Amino acid sequence: MSKDMKFLVVDDFSTMRRIIKNLLHDLGYSNVTEADDGKTALPMLQAGSFDFLITDWNMPGMPGLDLLKAVRADSKLAKMPVMMLTAEAKRDQIVEAAKAGVNGYVIKPFTAETLKEKLDKILGAGK
Amino acid sequence: MSNFSVLKGEYGTYVDTLSEALQRDDESAFFTAVDNIVHMREPKMFAEIRKLTGDLQKALDRFSIESRLADIAEHEIPGARARLTHVINMTDEAAHRTLDLVERSGPLAERTSREAGALLDAFAAFRERATGRGFEGIARSVEAFLPLVRAMEAFLPAARTDSEQIRRNLADVLLAQGYQDLTGQIIRSVIKLVEELEQALGNLANLSGGLVEHATLGENPNAGHGPVVPGVTEGEVASAQTDVDALLSGLGM
Repeated sequence: MSKDMKFLVVDDFSTMRRIIKNLLHDLGYSNVTEADDGKTALPMLQAGSFDFLITDWNMPGMPGLDLLKAVRADSKLAKMPVMMLTAEAKRDQIVEAAKAGVNGYVIKPFTAETLKEKLDKILGAGK
Repeated sequence: MSNFSVLKGEYGTYVDTLSEALQRDDESAFFTAVDNIVHMREPKMFAEIRKLTGDLQKALDRFSIESRLADIAEHEIPGARARLTHVINMTDEAAHRTLDLVERSGPLAERTSREAGALLDAFAAFRERATGRGFEGIARSVEAFLPLVRAMEAFLPAARTDSEQIRRNLADVLLAQGYQDLTGQIIRSVIKLVEELEQALGNLANLSGGLVEHATLGENPNAGHGPVVPGVTEGEVASAQTDVDALLSGLGM
């Protein structure tokens, strides 16, 4: 995957979106768009040509798990790599996200190294 | 009419004595009989009064709890909501301020690093060219030294300015952390209110004889629980990224 791939970062907290955006920028990915919950993100995903989705779980409106399920259920988006970046750390939830088809699961608070490692893993696996 | 037979048995004798005393015009015997009848009624009356007092006390307690709850619901809960919203705003502001300063410092550090790299290259070039003995060697050294001096002249003041700016930004990052003290105080006051509410509701439940029905809100089951809170979050929880990775690799991911 090239460095100009298009990311959508979904989180209800603008500071977290900004942190992720900065980290992606440091990793060389500068094409990053933001959305503040699943409900706003889904039409953006359907309309735009995004290559990668990074989403929080716990958001008002549409939670990240529902967004993930909606993405997997949409034939045009179904194959999009999705990383869950969330404070949700219950064993059952991680299993549930995995069953719903998440490609990577990073728990907050996270480090730049973890984000890079998981991102590289997902992109490497997609090749 | 068995109750009335009991009453007849209890009071009959005194009534007879009373009526006899009236017929005999015996004032002393009359009052003794009246006193006896009154004494018989007293324990029942006091028991009734005690019960009434107890009920009244309970009603007053309930009233005082309910009026406190009404006060909490009417004034303090909206106040607490506003205070917590203020906490979110303050943390948001502090985080953005910190991010601003970090974003502004990054390019300065990057520039210093880049120019120091260029200077190192210039220095390496100087060392390479400034070789040879005699006049020719000296002339080559001087010629090679000039670009190095120029590069240093450009780099040093810029590096000083950038470093000073980064130091100022770091000092501002430090100051921006002051929100923790202020938000901590606000959150503590809300915790106090929650404690009071818990106590009042507990007392009310006790007065109602524990007849409190459990109700749940109709929430989206996929909504999530929020960050793990030690001692509060129930069930098996991943405490680090390594736990998540192990779990996922166990699932074949």
